[in-house]
Amino acid sequence: MIQIKNLRKVYRTEEIETTALDHVNVEIADGEFVAIMGPSGCGKSTLLNVLGMLDNPSTGEYNFWGEEISKYSERQRAKLRKGNIGFVFQSFNLIDELTVYENVELPLLYLGKSAAERKELVETVLTRMNIMHRKDHFPQQLSGGQQQRVAIARAVVAKPKLILADEPTGNLDSTNGEEVMKLLQQLNEEGTTIIMVTHSPYDANYSHRIINLFDGHVVTENVNTKFHI
Amino acid sequence: MLRNYIQIALRTLWKNKVFSLINILGLAVGMACCLLILLYVQHELSYDTHNDRSKDLYRLVTEFVTEAKTEKAPTCAAPVAAAVKNEFPEVEEVTRVFIPFSEDKAIFKRMARGKAQQSFYESKGAFADPTFFNLFTYEFLEGSTKHALEQPNSVVISEEIARKLYGTNAALNQVIRISSSNGDMDFKITGVFRPAGPSHIDSHYFMSLSSGDIGEFVRNTQDFASNNMFFTYLKLRPGVEAKSLEAKFPAFIEKYMGKDLKRVAFKKNQYLESVPRIHLYTDAETIFNKKGNIQFVYILITVALFTLVIACINFMNLSTARSGKRAAEVGIRKVMGAEKETLIGQFLGESMLISLMALVLAIFLVEVSLPLFNSIAGTDLSISFTKDYTKLFLFLGLALITGILAGSYPAFYLSSFNPAQVLKSKASNSLAAINLRKALVVFQFALSIILILGSLVIWRQMDFLQHQDLGFVKDQQLVIPLRTNLAKEHYTTFKQAIEKNSEVVSAAAATSYPGIFVAGDQTFYREGKTVENGVTLRMNHVNYDFMETMGFHKISGRFFSPQFPADTAQRIIINEHAVAKLGYTPQSVLGKTLHWNGSEGRLDYQVVGVVKDFNFAGLQKPIDNFGFILAPWGLNYMVVRTNTAKVSRLLTSLENTWKTFNPEEPFEYSFLDQDFQRNYETEQKMGTLISYFTTIAILIACLGLYGLAAFTAEQKIKEIGVRKVLGASITNIVGLLSRDFMKLVLIAYLIAVPASWFLMDQWLQEFAYRTELSWWLFAGAGFIAFLIALATVSSQTIRAALVNPVKSLKSE
Repeated sequence: MIQIKNLRKVYRTEEIETTALDHVNVEIADGEFVAIMGPSGCGKSTLLNVLGMLDNPSTGEYNFWGEEISKYSERQRAKLRKGNIGFVFQSFNLIDELTVYENVELPLLYLGKSAAERKELVETVLTRMNIMHRKDHFPQQLSGGQQQRVAIARAVVAKPKLILADEPTGNLDSTNGEEVMKLLQQLNEEGTTIIMVTHSPYDANYSHRIINLFDGHVVTENVNTKFHI
Repeated sequence: MLRNYIQIALRTLWKNKVFSLINILGLAVGMACCLLILLYVQHELSYDTHNDRSKDLYRLVTEFVTEAKTEKAPTCAAPVAAAVKNEFPEVEEVTRVFIPFSEDKAIFKRMARGKAQQSFYESKGAFADPTFFNLFTYEFLEGSTKHALEQPNSVVISEEIARKLYGTNAALNQVIRISSSNGDMDFKITGVFRPAGPSHIDSHYFMSLSSGDIGEFVRNTQDFASNNMFFTYLKLRPGVEAKSLEAKFPAFIEKYMGKDLKRVAFKKNQYLESVPRIHLYTDAETIFNKKGNIQFVYILITVALFTLVIACINFMNLSTARSGKRAAEVGIRKVMGAEKETLIGQFLGESMLISLMALVLAIFLVEVSLPLFNSIAGTDLSISFTKDYTKLFLFLGLALITGILAGSYPAFYLSSFNPAQVLKSKASNSLAAINLRKALVVFQFALSIILILGSLVIWRQMDFLQHQDLGFVKDQQLVIPLRTNLAKEHYTTFKQAIEKNSEVVSAAAATSYPGIFVAGDQTFYREGKTVENGVTLRMNHVNYDFMETMGFHKISGRFFSPQFPADTAQRIIINEHAVAKLGYTPQSVLGKTLHWNGSEGRLDYQVVGVVKDFNFAGLQKPIDNFGFILAPWGLNYMVVRTNTAKVSRLLTSLENTWKTFNPEEPFEYSFLDQDFQRNYETEQKMGTLISYFTTIAILIACLGLYGLAAFTAEQKIKEIGVRKVLGASITNIVGLLSRDFMKLVLIAYLIAVPASWFLMDQWLQEFAYRTELSWWLFAGAGFIAFLIALATVSSQTIRAALVNPVKSLKSE
């Protein structure tokens, strides 16, 4: 379970101070699918980065599955992150120099899994994502939808508790977008907690709950009654 | 994981071919320079280390102390060696080596039925005690080291001489005739050797010290003060400290030399000089072998490091400049759980991989350039790994160091990216990184300008030395060595014969001539004074016409002439410097008597002339006291002054005349100006090598600048488009892009000028005669640096400025 209390994130330069998140309180239960929405610059991605331990909050508390981590060092965060959180990005963020197989294998390498175990896990997830036939291709040789499926495969290969998706369909056409959302929904149904940042109300309808942000504040938190089945 | 790293490294390299090429090529060339110099330094440091227990080997150095000066010599009087061994139980063994210094070559003759079947010149012959091979390690192909030099008239020859004489047949126990100014002597070959490693003793053959006249002298002399002409080596017992032995020398000198030293009126000190250090560190004069030069070694190491650092800076700059391209990867890896240390490891690994690739290319470059390097440095270096595994480790070590040096900053820089930032937007270079990159370019160019200035100053100094008035005529002077008694006997008739040739102005003979080592010296003192107030003069024994042939300038009195028969009886001509030291003027010294205490009593010399000061040695050394005595003996060289441009025709004529007098002796000659120039061999070697390395270093720096300019142009493509749309001309754009780089070169120049002024001033201090560090040298170096940098940058900026703005703005 994730719990954040009174969380603030302030960016400072020499001349100006920008508050990206201001006294945000959010709780996310195990197995939930939550969408975070709001206009550009409202702090959605900052919240996702803090939740994904890519960034530390300036003040406030962050409890991750019973562990208070708001003051963790980069090394501690990296250690906790690996294996526990999977990321899916709008721009896929695959490493161009690695093949599909190697990209998906990457988190397992950092987890120190054996070669045999890696092979089994990667092939299983690639088959599941229906991209196995492209395993030796490089990202540039794939369509956008295929690339995002690879990115999802990479996010889930280590079987994390939480998947953070930052506008996962932002760079996809509607068919591919829907396919990706269905995959996320399926993963959630299998027990993975998902937090997704999106601009799309359509995509948000896949979630159980929608958190609306505005100028760094949580303005509404609605249970989604219209979610896609 | 390693496989993953290697894969990504190789694919990144392949994807960015131009930048990879710049990086690998730059590092390879930098490493090749370093490897060449490492090989050279390894060779220089290896001198005499191959000898068994080399750390126990010492040379006994003598310091001569008079009121006027202190001089060191690497030699001792003949009886010193035996006395040292008797006196000190710490000394396990002693040996002496004697070089007949009046000649540099002797004729080897393979005799049959009283006639020479084969004759050729051989150089670097030495006389040595039988114990010589107990101290110095040589590989014997024939004979044994134990008894090789025990018998008089035994000789141990090099493998090359043995092959020349007998081909593949055995040379052992054969008898050969060695003809030199010591006469014709027959020697029995008792050994054939191959050097076991580089040594300061580079003799081609060793004759037993008990042979001939020198043997006679060594057996009979008990004079501890005079004739200090024997290189004396000691092997100390294991564990004996040289310092503790040296502390006992003053008492030893008093006991053994006290009486003799009173007679010659100078004091002596004895020191021990570690044999493995002789080659690079000795400050004693030596005629034994070309000395190494530790300063030269340091300079080369500095140049090598400069070159490598310049190449590493390219790598750092291009890696960090292009960091945006790798930023996303860093972000993804961090998101996947990579820790900073893991990423540092990855990027360092990449730079290691690149440096290993560069090493392979560097080894190829070294292999290709070794013949040229060897010809300039006068070495015989090779990179055979099978013979010497240490070289392989040395090379791999260099690759490792290069990888770390070049890769550590980019590794730390790249691994410190915040994943949240770099994944959201393209990473742009931080101001600190941009400033550091600028600082590195400044540093790189400062090093290049220092190298340019170094090369210019060395070139200027060499030019200065060549054109300095030496006080005699050095051009159009031929030197013909008179090596054998036969050649000396025929000297007068040969001289008369060749002087008939209209292309010969005059000819004369002497013991020595300016430019080569002058072995003899004598201490003279004024009438009414004692030897304690004496002045030591370097001495040259000459024949009539020598002073005129050499073109020496007369200040007062006269030169030697047959019209003054008394000239053959102790008349002397001295230089201005000696006149002043003796306390006379050029006029008042004429007719004065100078006394000299020989081993057989006092001899008186009357001054008949004063010669204008001249440089008898290279211009590193100041002018010293010099004297000339007319002597019919010891005339080792003939100097022939010519007036022709058709030298080869004259040489043929001289050779033909020579053959009529000396049919068995090959005709040899040299040019006096070239012989004199040999005094600057080290400096010239250094100058040539540094100019080569400077060119390479500048090329590498330009390669980096080219890469950075290309990158900047790529980054600013939109800005260029906007400016062009707003009316900027191509010149404006080129100026805009070049200005930043030129500013950096200007800062580099301002740093380099005082640094190189200081360094080159230090170097020039080695010369008694030196050029000035003129302003135009510094201006010239700046101009060269600016021109090169501008040309490099312009190629990229012009290309960027020519891009159609419509295209660049659209693509953005």
